[in-house]
Amino acid sequence: MSSIGTGYDLSASQFSPDGRVFQVEYAQKAVENSGTVIGLRGKDGVVFAVEKIITSKLFEQSTNKRIFTVDRHVGLAVAGLIADARALAETARTEASNYRADYSAPIPVRHLADRLGMYLHAYTLYSFVRPFGCSVMMAAYGEDGPELFMADPSGVHFGYYGCSIGKARQSAKTEIEKLKTSELTCAELIKEAAKIIYVIHDEVKDKEFELELSWVGEHTGGRHQLVPKDVHEAAERYAKAALEEDSDSDEAM
Amino acid sequence: MFRNQYDNDVTVWSPQGRLHQVEYAMEAVKQGAATVGLKCRTHAVLVALKRASSELSAHQKKIMPIDGHVGVSIAGLTADARILSRWMRTECLNAQYAHDRPLPVSRLISDLGNKMQVCTQRDGSRPYGVGLLVAGYDESGPHIYQTCPSANYFDCKAMAIGARSQSARTYLEKHLAEFPDCTWQEIVTHALLALRDTLPNDMDLTTKNCTVAVVGKGMEFTIHEDEEVAPFLAKLEGIQRRGGHGAAPAAEPAPLRDEPAPEEREPRPDSPQTMEH
Repeated sequence: MSSIGTGYDLSASQFSPDGRVFQVEYAQKAVENSGTVIGLRGKDGVVFAVEKIITSKLFEQSTNKRIFTVDRHVGLAVAGLIADARALAETARTEASNYRADYSAPIPVRHLADRLGMYLHAYTLYSFVRPFGCSVMMAAYGEDGPELFMADPSGVHFGYYGCSIGKARQSAKTEIEKLKTSELTCAELIKEAAKIIYVIHDEVKDKEFELELSWVGEHTGGRHQLVPKDVHEAAERYAKAALEEDSDSDEAM
Repeated sequence: MFRNQYDNDVTVWSPQGRLHQVEYAMEAVKQGAATVGLKCRTHAVLVALKRASSELSAHQKKIMPIDGHVGVSIAGLTADARILSRWMRTECLNAQYAHDRPLPVSRLISDLGNKMQVCTQRDGSRPYGVGLLVAGYDESGPHIYQTCPSANYFDCKAMAIGARSQSARTYLEKHLAEFPDCTWQEIVTHALLALRDTLPNDMDLTTKNCTVAVVGKGMEFTIHEDEEVAPFLAKLEGIQRRGGHGAAPAAEPAPLRDEPAPEEREPRPDSPQTMEH
C-alpha cells in the first residue's frame, strides 16, 4: 500500500491514481480486527458460529450478540463495528418487512443480499458518509434449499458453501475446506462450527470469548434460531474434546 | 497531541481501520466525574460524583430521570446528555401512549444506539461526547446499561465510567459475585464504596458531592440528593479506604465539560472500546 498518506485515501468519493478507493479498503480492515464469524451451508440448513470476545467481566453474558434474526426465516451474523452492524441489521429488518408488506411472502435471502449489498455500496460513493465497518452473512432455508450469502463493506456479495470473516478468517477457511459441508447435516455442522471457532481462537491475544451458535434449516421448520441450550453445550463439549485430542497428539509427536 | 491526517472527520477511516474522531469522543467520557451503576436481583442503583465549577456555583446534576422505570447517570458533555435524555423521555412517553405499558429498557437502549450511530457515520455532525449509565426496571428485572459515544452499548452486571473510574471497576470486579444476593441498601453501599475508590486521597464523599438513585421492584426511579444521601454515607463509616491515588488535581472550571480533567488520565487501552468488535 505505497499510496497511503498521499492524500488519495481520505475520502470514499475519490479514486487513487491506480484506481483504488482506499477508504473502502480501510473499512475492510476494521472487519479484519473483529472476532471471527463462520457460516456453513449443509445439506439441510445453514449454521452460524461466532467468536464473541469478552472485553470485561462486568458485562452480562447476553450483551452484544453478533447474530441477529432479521425475519423469521433469515439469520444475520456480523463481524466488524457492532454499532454499524446493528444499524445494518435494522435496515435488513425494514427490507424484510417491506417485502412482506408488498408481496405477502417472506423475502428470498438472495434478494435481501442484493438489497443490503446496494445499501452498503451507497456508502462507498460519497464523501459525506463513510463505508460501513462491517461484513454480514445472511442465511435462510426455503424452497431453494439452504442458502448462505456474505456481503462486505464494498457492497460486493456472493453465495457460499462455507464462509469466514473476522481476524482469523484465513485459518478458519482452511478448516472449513477440510469439511464436505454440502454432505453434512445441521446437527453435524454445528459441532464442526463450534470446533473451528475453538481451534482458531487465539488465547494469547484475546483471553476469553463466548461462543454464539445459531442455525436455520429443515429441522427448525425454516426458522432461524439460536441453537437450544443442550445442543450448544454438546457442541462446546465436542469442540473442547477435539482440541484436547489435538494437543495430546502434538505432544506425542 | 496524537494528531494525524486521518483524525479530522468521522467519515474518514484510518489505514488501520480505526475511526479517530469516534475514539476522541470516547475520551470526553473520561473527563467527566465518575459514576457507578450496579444491580442486585430486584433493584438497580446509580451513584455519581458531583462537581461544582466554583465555590459560588451549585453542584452539577449527574443523574436525570427518564421515566418512572428508567433513569440515567452521565459522564462527559452535559449538554449532549441533555439532548439524549430528552429524546429518551419522548421515546418512553410515546411507547407508553402507543402500547399502554412502559418501554422495555433493552428496546430503549437499542433505539438510542441506532440514533447515536448515525452521527458516527455522517459528515456535518460529531458523535455525542457523553457516556451514559442507564438504570431501569422492567418485566425482565433490573438492568444497568452502559452507552458510549461510539454508539456501542453494553448490558452490564455493574459498571463505572468517568474520571479515574478504573479504580471503581476494580472494586466492582472484586465483589461481583456478592451483588445478586444483596438488598438494594447493600448495593448502594457497594456502589458508594466503588465511587469512593475513584477519589483522590484528600477528598471524601459528602452529602454535597454525591447523588444516589434507585429503581426496582415496586419502586419508581428515585433520586436522593443532599441530606437524603446522609443515611447511605453513614454506612461507609468505619470501612477502610483502599490505599491508592496521589494528590487531588487542582480544580479548574471547564465550561463545557462537567468536570475539569484530572491530572491522571487513564492509560489508553490498546484496543479502545470504540473499536469494540
